Amino acid sequence: MREQHSSPPVIVIGAGIVGTATAAFLAMAGTPVRLLDASAPASGATGAADGAVSVASKRPGPMMTMARAGAALYRELAGQGLFQGLFHKRPTFLVAASDAEADVLSDHSKALGEVGAPVRWLTRDGAADRLPSLTRKVVAVLEVEDEGHAIGYSIVSRLISAARLKVERYCPVASLEYEGRSGRVSGVRVGGAVIEASAVVVAAGGGAGRLIGLPDVSRPRRGQQLVTERAPGLNAALPGSLLSCSYLLSKKHEGEKADARGYGVVIDPLETGQFLIGSTREEGRTIPENDIEAVAHLAASAQEMVPALGQLRILRCFAGIRTATCDGLPMIGRMPGTENLFVAAGFEGDGICLGPLTGRIMADLVRGEEPEMDVSPFDPGRFATGSIAA
Amino acid sequence: MTAVRTFFWQGIEVPFRAGESVAAALSGANIHGFGKDNAGSQTRYFCGIGACQCCLVRVDGRTTEACLEPVHAGMIVTALEDGDA
Amino acid sequence: MREADIIVVGGGPAGVSAAVEAAKSGLSVVLCEQRPALGGAIHRQPAEGAAPVAALPSLARRWQSLSAKLSASRVEVRTRRAFVGIDSTGAVLIDDRAAGKVEVRRPRALILACGAVERVRPRPGWHLPGVAAAGGLQVMLKEGRVPEGRVLLAGSGPLLLALAAQMTAAGNPPVAVVEEGDPVSRPLAATRLLTHPFILPDMAVLMMPVLLRRFLWRRGTRLTEITQSADMLSARLRAPDGREERFEVDRIGLHDGLRANDFGLTADPPSGLVILRAGDLREVLGAHAAEADGAEAGREAAARLEGRPSCGSRSAMRRHRALQHRLSRIFAPAQGATVLRDCPDETVICRCEGRTIGHLKEQLAGPDAVSARELRLNGRFGMGACQGRFCSEWALSLMSELRRSAGVPASPPDFAETGVCRWPLRPVALSSLANAGIYDDTRTERHIEGISA
Repeated sequence: MREQHSSPPVIVIGAGIVGTATAAFLAMAGTPVRLLDASAPASGATGAADGAVSVASKRPGPMMTMARAGAALYRELAGQGLFQGLFHKRPTFLVAASDAEADVLSDHSKALGEVGAPVRWLTRDGAADRLPSLTRKVVAVLEVEDEGHAIGYSIVSRLISAARLKVERYCPVASLEYEGRSGRVSGVRVGGAVIEASAVVVAAGGGAGRLIGLPDVSRPRRGQQLVTERAPGLNAALPGSLLSCSYLLSKKHEGEKADARGYGVVIDPLETGQFLIGSTREEGRTIPENDIEAVAHLAASAQEMVPALGQLRILRCFAGIRTATCDGLPMIGRMPGTENLFVAAGFEGDGICLGPLTGRIMADLVRGEEPEMDVSPFDPGRFATGSIAA
Repeated sequence: MTAVRTFFWQGIEVPFRAGESVAAALSGANIHGFGKDNAGSQTRYFCGIGACQCCLVRVDGRTTEACLEPVHAGMIVTALEDGDA
Repeated sequence: MREADIIVVGGGPAGVSAAVEAAKSGLSVVLCEQRPALGGAIHRQPAEGAAPVAALPSLARRWQSLSAKLSASRVEVRTRRAFVGIDSTGAVLIDDRAAGKVEVRRPRALILACGAVERVRPRPGWHLPGVAAAGGLQVMLKEGRVPEGRVLLAGSGPLLLALAAQMTAAGNPPVAVVEEGDPVSRPLAATRLLTHPFILPDMAVLMMPVLLRRFLWRRGTRLTEITQSADMLSARLRAPDGREERFEVDRIGLHDGLRANDFGLTADPPSGLVILRAGDLREVLGAHAAEADGAEAGREAAARLEGRPSCGSRSAMRRHRALQHRLSRIFAPAQGATVLRDCPDETVICRCEGRTIGHLKEQLAGPDAVSARELRLNGRFGMGACQGRFCSEWALSLMSELRRSAGVPASPPDFAETGVCRWPLRPVALSSLANAGIYDDTRTERHIEGISA
């Protein structure tokens, strides 16, 4: 039941997983909300994500802590029915193929242990038993439990239908409207019209920076991925996703070169019996398209890790554009100086894992309630102090 | 030159004519259903030009379109449902 | 030897004539064909020891003539090469099926001549074994395998009669041809065909078995359902007066027309590569038009690479277009346009993923107005191995029907909106991608940098 308000609705800009979750949790709490998207739901990074609900792949620090809570929320919502059939619990296996990678993995396992993630090392025989399709040329394998997989566009679709949202598609917001010098936003401008809002949540991914007056805090980072045909036998023989430690290395060194292209292989067995193979990390690429060099590299690396994948056919290649902030942390919270303007953007490749949790936190913030976790490390105010703009 | 050339469909010897596709040879043997694919749908010859993906079979471990794949003597052809790994 | 100037994809009449014409300029031309032999669907050649099927009079000897020109040319022919697409850098990707690797080629021009695909409208039971596209049965017949047993052909268009005539000549006429149109009821339109004298001998061949009553010709009649019982297929037909009739048969060929096989090709290709479309892939006008159009495309590609003014107005196509237009009017469905939403909910739309009309209705049931792309992703229509070639058109038209019936004004969404314009155009083995090699000057193929051999 929605409460009757005489005040205008909350406007959420961006129907990716973060914006949709925010709108859905607001609507389910009885707050009138309008969800606007420049094109259609899940048409940006959400629709091209690998779907990893993973703590194992996160950088140690606030992201790892939040990912742990994000994954817990998926488990909770799957149990309650909202994400039933969409969230699939499975472990992640971090695979080191060299001594250098094993060193990185050793440090990483400690960090995972510190946030309470259940980890265990597999022996050589243990790895052969548990992961029969994995190449024998591995130095170390770490299993991380409590992980899972969810397809971003499916989650978005479920949230839309569960909250009975009517998404306003092809509705690009040109700018925010401010209420004189009161320190409040009064609405958003779409085409020639202004839509009034009691509060505005900017969850527009790569389009967020421009709307909140911080155009330089984020940059695009492309990811290319492949999907195989169904192979139920091979799929069943892989109990979780395989994450090459070169992925951790590529995350560690990214951003060092303007046109760098990092590769880190992830092989995820999907519920359909297919496999998802990712991904590149390409600086500054804004167009979601695939090139043979990257695709061949991913295919060769995947085949090296799981040789039997070679005989499967690739049905699709796709690409997505992640939005990375300059310090690698998302912006989650209220914009300083504007009491009813909120932002949740810059999740890079972690939006699927963190999206529902962020949505619930944003709904609480907008409604003036205490959020369930401290999001001060992600305070957008850290960029708004003038140091970036200057 | 041998008089009759054959290949194997599901372990059964099937004759073929040089230069024809797996699908044509199976049709000649009155085999029209190629078992289930990995999504559980029945496979069968359909478009004849490699577009519809309805006639997928496994040839020497690879998934391929029966209508495009030239048949060779001794070739082992099976339905997809008989395991993929 | 360096990379070819021009790569032509498709070994049917359009591709072969394009290659032959382009090579006349002295430019190097490579012709790629996915099958082991050239000819395309229209000129499919019989296997060794199989009896050739009589071609329609206007097409007889066309292939011999084209092949002779090809043999005399300097075109390099490469078979078992499936076109996978054009990547974001403009590289032309060719799946070398025999070698198990993707060739990464960088020609100066690309001529796409991959022909047409059949349209087969979803009907209850269309996905059953024993049911094929009529054109599929026709190429099989040309390969030398005449469809055996009791065969029913249904749908709409002259291809059904052509196949029936060829089956009759091969000794197994179909039990019936079920045509949704009623050409006989449109004598005026039929008379206009006289302005295209070159097809009259073809018409005579098509109509002869009809006149001799070698098979039943049910006109204005729709095949509404196929069911399977034991080893037989049962087809339910509905006549214009509403009366129903059943046929028990072994095989059914369906055909609801043709569409260009341009699925997944972007309208906005990367710059730096001249890309021309030729033949049925450009516009479905049949084999004669394809051959002429291919030749024009070949000349145009050569002219553009040599910086000459391009001569190609492709004006020869006007007459062929007029003919196709007349034929489609003659074969217009007598019972009006089919309404997909009247089919039972269990009717399969997307065979690859097993998705039905009921599944599609579920996706559109909520208050939210989902887009074509969301329908594809969440409903999985067109997410399977055929990439939507056989279902996207129908999924989108059912979506429009449902929107209209709900009072929502809706123009038919187009394919581009579903986000499927991308490579690979066809499924390709992961190992072949892993082995992808650049085709370079020395004519050895080296692996892409950074990939271990």
